[in-house]
Amino acid sequence: MHRLTPFFRIWTWFSFRQLRDHFWRTMAVLVGIGLGAAVFTSVRLAVDASLDSFTRSVDALSGKSDWTVLCPGGRAPESLISKLIRHPAVQAVSPLSTIYVETDNATAGPILLIGLDPLLDRSFRVWQPEPSDSAQQSPHQTSEIGNRQSKWLELVREPFTLIVGEKLYAKFHLQTGQSLILVHPQGKKSFRVLGKLAPQGLALVEGGEIALTDLATFQEFTGTNGFVDRIDLMLKRSAPRDAADQIRALLPAGVTLEPPAELKESGRLMVRSYQLNLSVLSFVSLFVGMFLVYSLISLHATSRRHELAILRSLGASSRLIFFLFLSEGAFFGCVGWLLAIPLGSFMVKHLLAHVSNTISHLFVRVQVDRLLLDPWEILLSFSTTLFVSLLAAWQPAHEAMRVPPREVLQTHESGPAYPRPARNLALCGLLLIGLVWPLSCLPGTNGVPLAGYAATFLLFAGFSLIAPWLLQIIGVLVPPLLRALAGEPAYLGGRYIRDAGTRIAISVGALITAMALFVALVIMIHSFRKTVEAWVTQSISGDLYLRPKMAAANQYRDVLPPEVVSALKGLQTTMDIIPYRRMVLHYGRTSYQFEVLDFDSFMKHAQMLFVEGDAQLVLPQLEEGKGVIVSEVFANQTGIGIGKRFEAQIGQTRLDLPVLGIIRDYRTQGGVVYYSMKQFQELSGDTAWSGVRFNLAGRESSTEDAVNLLRSQVLRVLDQHQYGVEITLGRDLRQTILKIFDETFAITTVLLLIALAVATLGITSTLTVLVLDRTRQFHTILACGGTRGQIRLMIFWEALIMVFAGALLGLLCGFFLSYLLVFVINRQSFGWTFMYIVDWIPLLVASPLILATALLAALPASQIVFRLPPAMVLREQ
Amino acid sequence: MPDTVKRPLIEARKLTKIYRLGTGEVVGINSIDFNVSERELVVLKGNSGSGKSTLLALLAGLDQPTHGDLIVADQDLRKATPGQLTQYRREVVGMVFQSFNLLPTLTVLENVSLPSLLAGRRRPKVAAKAMELLAWLHLTPRLHHLPAQLSGGEMQRTAIARALINEPAIILADEPTGNLDSQNGKTVMELLGNLNRELGTTVIIATHSDLADPIATTIIRLRDGSITDWICTA
Repeated sequence: MHRLTPFFRIWTWFSFRQLRDHFWRTMAVLVGIGLGAAVFTSVRLAVDASLDSFTRSVDALSGKSDWTVLCPGGRAPESLISKLIRHPAVQAVSPLSTIYVETDNATAGPILLIGLDPLLDRSFRVWQPEPSDSAQQSPHQTSEIGNRQSKWLELVREPFTLIVGEKLYAKFHLQTGQSLILVHPQGKKSFRVLGKLAPQGLALVEGGEIALTDLATFQEFTGTNGFVDRIDLMLKRSAPRDAADQIRALLPAGVTLEPPAELKESGRLMVRSYQLNLSVLSFVSLFVGMFLVYSLISLHATSRRHELAILRSLGASSRLIFFLFLSEGAFFGCVGWLLAIPLGSFMVKHLLAHVSNTISHLFVRVQVDRLLLDPWEILLSFSTTLFVSLLAAWQPAHEAMRVPPREVLQTHESGPAYPRPARNLALCGLLLIGLVWPLSCLPGTNGVPLAGYAATFLLFAGFSLIAPWLLQIIGVLVPPLLRALAGEPAYLGGRYIRDAGTRIAISVGALITAMALFVALVIMIHSFRKTVEAWVTQSISGDLYLRPKMAAANQYRDVLPPEVVSALKGLQTTMDIIPYRRMVLHYGRTSYQFEVLDFDSFMKHAQMLFVEGDAQLVLPQLEEGKGVIVSEVFANQTGIGIGKRFEAQIGQTRLDLPVLGIIRDYRTQGGVVYYSMKQFQELSGDTAWSGVRFNLAGRESSTEDAVNLLRSQVLRVLDQHQYGVEITLGRDLRQTILKIFDETFAITTVLLLIALAVATLGITSTLTVLVLDRTRQFHTILACGGTRGQIRLMIFWEALIMVFAGALLGLLCGFFLSYLLVFVINRQSFGWTFMYIVDWIPLLVASPLILATALLAALPASQIVFRLPPAMVLREQ
Repeated sequence: MPDTVKRPLIEARKLTKIYRLGTGEVVGINSIDFNVSERELVVLKGNSGSGKSTLLALLAGLDQPTHGDLIVADQDLRKATPGQLTQYRREVVGMVFQSFNLLPTLTVLENVSLPSLLAGRRRPKVAAKAMELLAWLHLTPRLHHLPAQLSGGEMQRTAIARALINEPAIILADEPTGNLDSQNGKTVMELLGNLNRELGTTVIIATHSDLADPIATTIIRLRDGSITDWICTA
């Protein structure tokens, strides 16, 4: 403390006042760091809120269970309950079923219906009806406990009754005793509302948009008599270590025993790659902000060399000088982070909805009802911002501490220290770029492309290190040309670039980073969209699609009722009806969809985009049931590709088949495995349909009128069963898929624009400081006969050359980066690749815009430099 | 060269400073020998490039000799580590510069207090001492002014106060009147003379000007890094 106080005093005198006196340039850096920190923090908080919602829902559903019995792709038989409860290791058993249903107000959105046995479930999960108010109490309800008990007893006694979550209660303005109509593929039913759940435990699942009912009611409503989604087990404390194995031995084929955490981890794993990618993207803004800090502190260290020499001559140690400048970095980090708080609060509100929608669409359903301010996230945000700022300040501080005290005797304005040879920096840069390729060949670690990210930062660093050399080359070769083309000011501007060294190269580095990211993301998003468009056009080519209501949300556990199937089979019309059976299964922790369909009919109207394997050879084998084809995502995430075997236990049916080909498939929620429907039905006896696609005969028949007519026909034959199904026009489905794609990348685009804004801020502040630093030089030129216009032209040409160098290297870096994004990072994060297609139009339009913006940034500097008259500037100090 | 009875405050033997610039060398000080006793006021004279400022830089611990010995206040400056030189600059010498070298963001009081704070002394005592010095130099009305608000003479007096704050054994002044008008220059020289006579501080002044001649106890002439003349006036 004794040493800190004088240090802080000297820092205030020497550093803080300098920052305060140059308010606008200080603010530019603070805003840059603040924006970067705000983006980084708000993105992480938004994803964390979604994950928190998911985790809480899963935890609340899992309750205190030690193990869970599941039937992947289907439902577990209820008859297992009596077997399990008799096992000596089992203390308690509770069956549970869940399903998303709609109310008769379809616009209100789905709700989660939970069916449980209120008696068996008591020790597993926390749920408690709220007591009724006194007006609604029956005479024998003399206490609050009695009140609550009567409610769940009524749930058991009376069929088609519900206790609903608070949010739902409010949403539908419900009262006890009121009816709520729920819609399921099996039909519609009116439920009587018994009351509201107290806000704890199960009531917090899905943000409170849940309804609890008795299991028997649930089974009758959903047509799942005799089956449940899961059977939770609580083991005795004295249970042996191999209790789980003993219990597994009791289970029939196709039924598994899993720890509850497995369900949670599977979901979290799916979101993790998305979370990581967004975090890295959001970190880029902070990374670009780091250049701002470096640039300004570096300029301070250079322009105040003489003051540093004075301090050294008065007894300041080099260590003190080092810490003075490092503390400037700490100042930017701390104050920038504080500035990020209001900025981040604003951003997170808008990001939350987008992020949770994207996660719901792509991975797992989440319903965010609270923003969690995790102290560890706050600490991570602060420490990352501080670390980045300190890292940025380290090198200038190190340079500053090397100012020799003897420089105090120099009376003339000291120039910059001898710059490091730019060629050596460029060689280091090329070396780093050269390392990118071997790094990118390394596999990901648990689905995290660490080597890919490292390669990305090496790319940024490598190109930034080339910048000083390029600027020097430009400064040597270009000025004579400029003199011929544009006169002496252009020549002088070019000469300054040659001699300015690393002072300007750092800001150019920031522009390279932002520009590269812009180029790479434009290419990546365009490539991805074009590939998805091709997939959608060729594979999602049905004219009409039909499936049970909420099929996707319910993971295709519900099939089309037999009456619906019969009705559709009886349709008299010229079209192809292509049914499919789809199930959501797990391979380890990787979720995927197993789908069977009639490939002969399918391939008349659609194409599959093969990545590996010859369609002509593979498809006949597929139809004969000689193997499966898998999506690229499945192959990359599980390692099961051509030459390997696909194994799965689906109910009583065991599949063990070779992989014949790998296709592109961009459906959400994991990969897909295709098999022949005919073969699957023969093997399993499962002839149910998960859904149907309709194709009119011939493309020319698929007019809008014809498709609408088809839809009307389908609705007519379904009659009252139409309430339990979703019918989507093929055109609408394709548009929806592309809309989801565009919304997913909206966040990416916003993050990119912020990074560009930060880089532009950096260029503005650097150009301003560089110009102000040479005020004396410019006024000397004035004194020698130069005009203000000529000096402005000089500044303009300097800015133009800097920005041109940054944009050129940025463009080149961006192309390299786009390859990394498409073929390494996306593949290792999500399992997919896409066709590499460059959209030149946005690049051609945006590049001059970026140039123009940066040049505008030079304007303030060229005004400020003439604020004082030459006589004042040039007088001897 | 005159001998002294006590051990000299400054002893230089074959003192040499060579600068390496690119592929060539420049001899700043060329193997000189001299002693300076306590309470002397030594004036170093010579043209530009004679080695006055180089010699002052060596005495101030701003630079180190290439060859030879330089012992000041019992400290061997040639063998001193950077940390020892920092300590030396804090405690043994105070410097006054031609271009004043005040820190532009600090007030007069803060500029004067700075060396003491760097030396780790407690602020209340430092502030009191600084105000005392500034009062002696008639700068009390300027305590809270920035250097940009001072005249040349006021800036140099502030610099002198700063040089004195740590009560150094030696004051080194490099062309202290170089940027001042004749009246202010005279005032500054008188001040330095008073410091020497009344406080007994050893003062070494490098200057072109003849203003220092009347107050000098020794005048040393330098040319091309060597001593050409040594005049004791005391």
